[in-house]
Amino acid sequence: MKHSDNNFKTLRQLLKLKQHEVPPPGYFNTFSDQVISRLQSGEGRAQSSTERIADQAPWLAWLLQLFETRPGVIGGFATSMVVLLVIGVIISERPDSLPKNILTATADSQPTPSLAAVTSPDLGGVVQASGIVASTNPVTSLQPVTTLFGQAGGSSGLFQAASFSPTGSGN
Amino acid sequence: MSEPNPIIDPNTPAGMLEGDLVKQARRGDFAAYDELVKRYQQRIYATIYHMTSNHEDANDLAQESFIKAFQALPSFKGGSTFYTWLYRIAVNKTINFLKQRKNRQHMSLNDLDFNAEHDPDLMALISDKTPVREVGLTELQQKLNEALLKLSEPHRMVVVLHDVQGVSHDEIAEMMNCNIGTVRSRLFYARQQLQGFLAEYINPA
Repeated sequence: MKHSDNNFKTLRQLLKLKQHEVPPPGYFNTFSDQVISRLQSGEGRAQSSTERIADQAPWLAWLLQLFETRPGVIGGFATSMVVLLVIGVIISERPDSLPKNILTATADSQPTPSLAAVTSPDLGGVVQASGIVASTNPVTSLQPVTTLFGQAGGSSGLFQAASFSPTGSGN
Repeated sequence: MSEPNPIIDPNTPAGMLEGDLVKQARRGDFAAYDELVKRYQQRIYATIYHMTSNHEDANDLAQESFIKAFQALPSFKGGSTFYTWLYRIAVNKTINFLKQRKNRQHMSLNDLDFNAEHDPDLMALISDKTPVREVGLTELQQKLNEALLKLSEPHRMVVVLHDVQGVSHDEIAEMMNCNIGTVRSRLFYARQQLQGFLAEYINPA
């Protein structure tokens, strides 16, 4: 290990040679002027869309760079995208992949109030023992019904039977 | 008797703090940005030059790095120093450039300055104990650059930043957007590889 360190020490001494490499004399006297004149000529006004992408999403810039430097990658990427699309279409068209109807699933587990109960003259019967109100709204129909005082079902007096018989016989 | 320091007016760009210069440059003040370019041009150029071993490429990339930094100044949040942020732009630009020109590397080396022949470390190296004495400094420079170009871009960048530029591990990690452990392992691996490439100039006779 010590031998290795000594070798690294020699290597670092050798690398110091790089510090003595200098550009042509006077090079830095005009460097900043060149940069500023390029900026003033309009190069610095706005970033291109590609550069904005590179700043905001480096991973996307990296991907674009990869496509540029290795053309084979873009072919593979496009192929995998097409395969994923085809798989998606096949899965979506399979009949057994359709989701079950939520109302059907509810009917399997709990008895739905019959239509007769709704059309019955005795509307108090709408409030079933199961606590489910038949409604066209699938959300409210699943809400347990409680009365104002927390008594589920039963005739509490808040519900009154409607009568369709004429009040008077006309006599 | 030492010469008196020149008096710098704090109201001129040369006398302003880096943070103030950045604020002014963000508003489109070219004089402020000119001062920022002057402060960092040598370090940015040197880093790119040591990565490419080509003066013309280094010149183009250094200019483009400063132009890109100016364009991106509105997005500079100040989470790091301007210097680190600028370095990060130059590092990314250089690595992308090198990936693109992978198969057409062409060296265009700068001359060695006068002090190279008087550097005590180099003099110690060119002693009668090593085979380096057999070659001139220019040939050694050529071999060293060839060896550096054999390294992968991330490994070369770590060696250049740490062993040539003297940047700390922490700063390199921030510039290269990786953790410090990665920097250390890359440095060790790169040095090992360089040692192998330059074995005949490093190993004692």
